Amino acid sequence: MAVKPYGASKQGVTLGNLQHDAAASSAEIEARHFNFFYGHFKALSDISIAICRNRVTALIGPSGCGKTTFLRAINRMHDQTAGARSEGELLLNGSDVNVLSDLTALRKRVGMIFQRPNPFPMSIFDNVAYGLRVEAQRTPRGEIHDRVEKALRDAFLWDEVKNKLHNSGLALSGGQQQRLCIARAIAVQPEVVLMDEPCAALDPIATLAIEDLIREIVKKYTIVIVTHNMQQAARVSHYTAFFTTDASRTGQMVEYGQTQAIFTNPRDRRTEDYISGRFG
Amino acid sequence: MSVQTVPDFPDFGDVFTGRPTRSLRRAMFADHFVTGLMWAAALFLAGVLFAVVLAILIAGVPVLSLQFLLTPGTFEEPGIGPQIWCSLYTLFLTLLFVVPVGTGASIYLGEYARPNRFTNLIRFSTESLASVPSIVYGVFGAIVFLTTMKMGYSILAGSLTLALLNLPLMVRVAEDAIRGVPNSYREGSLALAASKWETIRKVVLPTAMPGLLTAIVLTAGRILGETAPLILTMGTNISPNAYYSLDPLATGETLSVHIWVIKIVGVPGMPRAQEAANGSAAVMLLIVLVINILVALLNSRLQRRLSGGSIPRAGGSKKVGS
Repeated sequence: MAVKPYGASKQGVTLGNLQHDAAASSAEIEARHFNFFYGHFKALSDISIAICRNRVTALIGPSGCGKTTFLRAINRMHDQTAGARSEGELLLNGSDVNVLSDLTALRKRVGMIFQRPNPFPMSIFDNVAYGLRVEAQRTPRGEIHDRVEKALRDAFLWDEVKNKLHNSGLALSGGQQQRLCIARAIAVQPEVVLMDEPCAALDPIATLAIEDLIREIVKKYTIVIVTHNMQQAARVSHYTAFFTTDASRTGQMVEYGQTQAIFTNPRDRRTEDYISGRFG
Repeated sequence: MSVQTVPDFPDFGDVFTGRPTRSLRRAMFADHFVTGLMWAAALFLAGVLFAVVLAILIAGVPVLSLQFLLTPGTFEEPGIGPQIWCSLYTLFLTLLFVVPVGTGASIYLGEYARPNRFTNLIRFSTESLASVPSIVYGVFGAIVFLTTMKMGYSILAGSLTLALLNLPLMVRVAEDAIRGVPNSYREGSLALAASKWETIRKVVLPTAMPGLLTAIVLTAGRILGETAPLILTMGTNISPNAYYSLDPLATGETLSVHIWVIKIVGVPGMPRAQEAANGSAAVMLLIVLVINILVALLNSRLQRRLSGGSIPRAGGSKKVGS
């Protein structure tokens, strides 16, 4: 594919080699031989990946390959699911997320954007302020307004909503709702923002707006994005991990590297088949 | 041809003659026939409601007067002031027990309970209790509250009995409301570092509020109308020195019990018993109507607030200038 991944060219890196990306100083998230199970079903097998700080890493692959499972393991959204468990290490800044006892402390550092925009049925202001007001954050009252405004500005939403902050978040369009959710997530200044197919429910124009936003906020945050849209992965991500399933439907990571390398010169046959549209 | 008069059918009829085909005519007939049936059923329902309200009001409204509504009845002059008070007080006391316990149980069942045998047992008990006849609760209340706990015939014993009677209904409807809250709200809240309890308090309960209100209204309607268990636990008259009393241990007589007393038991020689019963029924109907209208108004306000439109903020603690 001749799609040029965003940002890859100007960093002058060797294709397929993460070590040479000088700007990405260190790995923010690192999985080592990570396995994941739903009851007896093994959903992920032996995932080892180092995700760079202040970079967009895209997880692509066919449906059911475990990319969303991996994403949700990072902020332990699976804790809600009965029978879900993991093996191996999943490190956030060097400490294993699975040994943390305080989930809220983890989720302060790792925000999440979902497939369908899910603003709460409350005002736009209260939506963005929600994360600031939770027990785990304890933002001083006087700061909340400024931080809400800043988050909405950072999410390119301020000009559209500044005169209706007290209208319901549900009255916004789908694209605006998703940007509201992004504002809500970055208002609490996490280190990592996980995005689970954030544009799946959006039209092309709204999708481009979200992609612009991703390119902007990645300067401050580490972004991991699951997407079914390979053009999107090529457009916004610096690194791409390709997941697929084996015969027993267990997900595994086939290839991981610079997005440009994955898309122009895949090393694995399965990656090539997938990105050239031969399956998946 | 005549075919043009039925544009809602994609089958345009016989291609040569333009006349409706046999199968098209059959489909049209079936469609109209079934639509008609549904329409008739709905009309019948509306008609019944209208007839009941009209009959009760025609019989009861002429009896209503300030004196009838506000004073205790005398032998010659009917009055239901104390009964109205007793009904509302009973309603209040019962809801005081039912709402916290019912909401708590429904939160547990909807949010915390994992599907296991214990949960199933609770659900099965709730379902079973909901179908136990109310008179059985009356007997139970008489045994436990009157005999064992020695409360005697009292408003408290009656209210507790009604609370037990209505808990299953309250829990079921409230749990439905809580389960109806989209999971995406819970995940969104948890992902923002809210704890489970914060999620329930700040997102789940406010979103479920219209449904919870519905549960309370249904319960309130049943509390106001319940008769049999009260006869066994609360008594059938109000002592003249306990009129408008707040004493939960006084005996009481709600409007519904009052109707039963003057219509069925009868007060020998009371000349205007029929009138008093009609008036009481009308008052009960109006109370239920008013509660329903108030809650519907509150609900539509809540819905507007939850789902869009301009929100005039009450109590400006969180006000910001924009």
